[in-house]
Amino acid sequence: MAYAYLFKYIIIGDTGVGKSCLLLQFTDKRFQPVHDLTIGVEFGARMITIDGKQIKLQIWDTAGQESFRSITRSYYRGAAGALLVYDITRRDTFNHLTTWLEDARQHSNSNMVIMLIGNKSDLESRREVKKEEGEAFAREHGLIFMETSAKTASNVEEAFINTAKEIYEKIQEGVFDINNEANGIKIGPQHAATNATHAGSLFLRLAAQTGPLAHSLTLSSCPAET
Amino acid sequence: MFGRSRSWVGGGHGKSSRNIHSLDHLKYLYHVLTKNTTVTEQNRNLLVETIRSITEILIWGDQNDSSVFDFFLEKNMFVFFLNILRQRSGRYVCVQLLQTLNILFENISHETSLYYLLSNNYVNSIIVHKFDFSDEEIMAYYISFLKTLSLKLNNHTVHFFYNEHTNDFALYTEAIKFFNHPESMVRIAVRTITLNVYKVSLDNQAMLHYIRDKTAVPYFSNLVWFIGSHVIELDNCVQTDEEHRNRGKLSDLVAEHLDHLHYLNDILIINCEFLNDVLTDHLLNRLFLPLYVYSLENQDKGGERPKISLPVSLYLLSQVFLIIHHAPLVNSLAEVILNGDLSETYAKPEQDVQRSCAKPSIRCFIKPTETLERSLEMNKHKGKRRVQKRPNYKNVGEEEDEEKGPAEDAQEDAEKAKGTEGGSKGTKTSGENEEIEMVIMERSKLPELAAGTSVQEQNTTDEEKSAATGLESAQWSRPFLDMVYHALDSPDDDYHALFVLCLLYAMSHNKGMDPEKLERIQLPVPSAAEKTAYNHLLAERLIRIMNSAAQPDGKIRLATLELSCLLLKQQVVTSTGCIIKDVHLACLEGAREESVHLVRHFYKGEEIFLDMFEDEYRSMTMKPMNVEYLMMDASILLPPTGTPLTGIDFVKRLPCGDVEKTRRAIRVFFMLRSLSLQLRGEPETQLPLTREEDLIKTDDVLDLNNSDLIACTVITKDGGMLQRFLAVDIYQMSLVEPDVSRLGWGVVKFAGLLQDMQVTGVEDDSRALNITIHKPASSPHSKPFPILQATFIFSDHIRCIIAKQRLAKGRIQARRMKMQRIAALLDLPIQPTTEVLGFGLGSSSSQHLPFRFYDQCRRGSSDPTVQRSVFASVDKVPGFAVAQCINQHSSSSLSSPSPSASGSPSGSGSTSHCDSGGASSSSTPSAAQSPADELPTAEQPQPNLPDQLVIVSETEADTRPSKSLAKSADAEPVSLSPSLIPAQQPTISLLCEDTADTLSVESLTLVPPVDPCSLRTLAGIPPPPTPAVADTGAPGEGTAPQEPAGPAEH
Repeated sequence: MAYAYLFKYIIIGDTGVGKSCLLLQFTDKRFQPVHDLTIGVEFGARMITIDGKQIKLQIWDTAGQESFRSITRSYYRGAAGALLVYDITRRDTFNHLTTWLEDARQHSNSNMVIMLIGNKSDLESRREVKKEEGEAFAREHGLIFMETSAKTASNVEEAFINTAKEIYEKIQEGVFDINNEANGIKIGPQHAATNATHAGSLFLRLAAQTGPLAHSLTLSSCPAET
Repeated sequence: MFGRSRSWVGGGHGKSSRNIHSLDHLKYLYHVLTKNTTVTEQNRNLLVETIRSITEILIWGDQNDSSVFDFFLEKNMFVFFLNILRQRSGRYVCVQLLQTLNILFENISHETSLYYLLSNNYVNSIIVHKFDFSDEEIMAYYISFLKTLSLKLNNHTVHFFYNEHTNDFALYTEAIKFFNHPESMVRIAVRTITLNVYKVSLDNQAMLHYIRDKTAVPYFSNLVWFIGSHVIELDNCVQTDEEHRNRGKLSDLVAEHLDHLHYLNDILIINCEFLNDVLTDHLLNRLFLPLYVYSLENQDKGGERPKISLPVSLYLLSQVFLIIHHAPLVNSLAEVILNGDLSETYAKPEQDVQRSCAKPSIRCFIKPTETLERSLEMNKHKGKRRVQKRPNYKNVGEEEDEEKGPAEDAQEDAEKAKGTEGGSKGTKTSGENEEIEMVIMERSKLPELAAGTSVQEQNTTDEEKSAATGLESAQWSRPFLDMVYHALDSPDDDYHALFVLCLLYAMSHNKGMDPEKLERIQLPVPSAAEKTAYNHLLAERLIRIMNSAAQPDGKIRLATLELSCLLLKQQVVTSTGCIIKDVHLACLEGAREESVHLVRHFYKGEEIFLDMFEDEYRSMTMKPMNVEYLMMDASILLPPTGTPLTGIDFVKRLPCGDVEKTRRAIRVFFMLRSLSLQLRGEPETQLPLTREEDLIKTDDVLDLNNSDLIACTVITKDGGMLQRFLAVDIYQMSLVEPDVSRLGWGVVKFAGLLQDMQVTGVEDDSRALNITIHKPASSPHSKPFPILQATFIFSDHIRCIIAKQRLAKGRIQARRMKMQRIAALLDLPIQPTTEVLGFGLGSSSSQHLPFRFYDQCRRGSSDPTVQRSVFASVDKVPGFAVAQCINQHSSSSLSSPSPSASGSPSGSGSTSHCDSGGASSSSTPSAAQSPADELPTAEQPQPNLPDQLVIVSETEADTRPSKSLAKSADAEPVSLSPSLIPAQQPTISLLCEDTADTLSVESLTLVPPVDPCSLRTLAGIPPPPTPAVADTGAPGEGTAPQEPAGPAEH
């Protein structure tokens, strides 16, 4: 469970574009999207490896909360990455991208990595948005682009992992202030050890990552959570 | 691992995956559960996968087969889940179970399925289960689970969560316990849950009462304390900042505060009256008044009372007014700021503070005495004790107070007693809140009443009363407002002033605000229908700010100036006109005049002045100030700085270096000019320099008889090939094709600004030119976008050279004319203009005329024919007029041995340098020419009209002069705006050109820094007398002499 970094993502886009399905597809392979059963989830976490480092992704779907302005703006701000999803079989979801993007840029921190995703690429016959259009939009706005299918799992891994790579690179370049958790990046326990400012929370983190069984022991024996 | 587990469960079943989704399979899974009631290391994975599969079947059943749910219910399968949870089976199982539940509730679509799942109260048992919340993953899944449930709340499902009889609402009470969790995503989820709950509670009286009576006070008081603590941290961050090092942290804290305000506003706009009363009370009396507003007052007073610094308090209050529009809240808050606590503050300033503290139940920023968790616990028990009693949140408050201990004093008791009284009397139970509201309202009437008797309502003593009475006469006995005005006065910088302006702006634009409140300080709301008076005190301060902004070393930031202009306009402009007093208008005009002087100072120096000028205008008009965005920026909380290294937006800091000083001067000029025009009720006729409507547009049909047209083949980047005629107008080049219906007319297929054009030769083809025209960047983030990028092929190299020359000269010409228009705007003598140096070299005589000519045609009348004729005129052959001019003034200073080539510049060969010349040329001349020259030049006696006339008639003569310009140009590349980047191009000899003028040798070489001839020309050209122009009989001329020339205006 130890990780070097934790990246928080959000998924945004119109309803029905398959955000929660993408998320479930990525975080839990056991729910195979066969049998015509669409299953999604609003939160998920998964460990990946980049550059030999364990990185934990925490993905928060913002669906259903659009009516509260405070909620959306807070979500944006707390994320290091955003997946902006549209449905290639519905032109309107593509047309709304600009609004989503404006919102994201307005509220997020400027370093947030945004990945544009054209979902449902398995439905080629009903396609309304050309791949080139997605590419052009992404190029114009400086986004990474990919077409995915939550159904066939095509490109789903890549979408999440490439976003993480981009964030990771930004960390290496020193663009992200990793000591500031408000950016949606958290340093894992062993990294925190090298980092004086995090010494305080180190103890708890260590406790938290020693594994499920050892964990309860550690907690009960540990003198204080102060 | 997951993959594997899947397979072995399937394998265990011994069937293919075909019927994984079936009742039978569920029965099998049930069997597995019954066989594994105890979680062990060995069966952990099996159990997890079983639970997961059950979920999948349930979701499938929801969509396909309801018998699945019957079975689930019948066998009470949820119990197994709970049973597994309660075995402290470790995080792995916990996480899996929570994830499963998330998926289950998220994907169930039928209400009835949902009821099945929710019945039996098992979900509530899971909610109250003591998970190990120190594990961040468990915490995240848990809170997501609650959030998912809260999204399923509606009028029907709410009964599964809220139990009226036991006063239990675990979903809500468990969630709010995490309101201050260190993990932001958790806090956000909590807020989402509460908002969802409040929304549903609107339709459910019992629940609403429960929330208000049992939870509102503990939750809101803790929330308010939490916000306030952040604010104090924020203030601390500002106070301890050195060299802007705290900016990162500061912007987080500011964003956090904004999040809170938006959250509070989201609660308020759900518009649940009961809740809003409690919330408003807490916000006002526990946070906004005691911490924000009281900090406005003299900072030394107040003793130990928690306070924040003045700028922070102004800044935060602005945010409050920008975001929250709940009328009772904003009005009460504004009332205190604008009218202050007259009785208390004025009469006994010393006591004021104590008093405000001395009524802690009303106005104090104090920590809640117990944790939220404990309060909720207490309330629950209390609820059980007095289940018969009508719930009243005031009772809760009392209980809290009792435990408060030393903080209490007699006064508070009195207050409390009153509150309780009111509460029990009133039909509404929110007695305390009403009481306070009333108090504030009463106070607000003070100014109107003869004596402050109404203050009596609260526990004011008699002497205070009399003091208050005495006050009535005192005009400015409003300490907070006083302070606000005072902050505008600071002469050194605008650190405080910016916040004050924002606050005033925010208050006056607040939709919840009662206009009367503002009228009392004569600050009208923007929509106010009629105004008869305005606040002179404020107006004078605003004008003072404008005035100092126009000083060369003014310390006023552009944002402050823009806000001042907005506020002044808002005050004095009415639907019927402007009510500003002459004396104020005069002061304002003075400021405007100063700003003109300021820009003039830079006009001569900056070679890219034109591009900056137009760019500033664009960005100013396209991005008008958004005060809400401005107040989201934490960087303005730190003292104003000048360096761009901070990354602070240009308008929010002082300029750094000459380029920025120029930009700033230009903006100040634009703002004050626009303000002045608006207040005087005059329309803007001169800006922008290029107006869309004046330009030739695609599909315009033009009369091209007598125009110089050059046939060419245009090969676009994507390989398209088009036959077009190239025509060059004053500001634009256009590509036309013949109009089939009218001989000699053409349809414009493309038109682009000459000033943004780059022309380069093609290396191995002497008949071809590469032409690029960029559209200036529309926003700071977007890149300049090429609207034309093509290779033009002409019939032979002569045509090619002609085209190139025409374009190159046209470019310089266009730029120069614009420079002259700027000169006119700045009331500089339009003409010889040493100032235009680079652009104006040698040409000016002919320049301003065409310009005016053009100007009149274009602006004076919209008659298309007139426009066309202008267009046509461009192509007359250049005149000797220019040459004459030169002769005439050849005696003037600065002569040099160079030949007279420039005078009759047939577009001379400067070509090769031409392109680059336009951009960078000015530098050399300006260096060469000492500023001293300007004066004499400008004052040159108005020479011969005759020349003028000649020139005028040859409107197009213009083109010529440019070449000399190019000559003198120093082709140093300035990489600023795309339009300025000099194109690299092969030198093409122009000798062969068939114009009347022969090229002088040096016109082909780049070097000579100053072209004497051109200088002479410059110096010699008189300011164009308007009448002369009229005489020339240019078409459309007489119509509307919108003389841009400056002198006349003086």
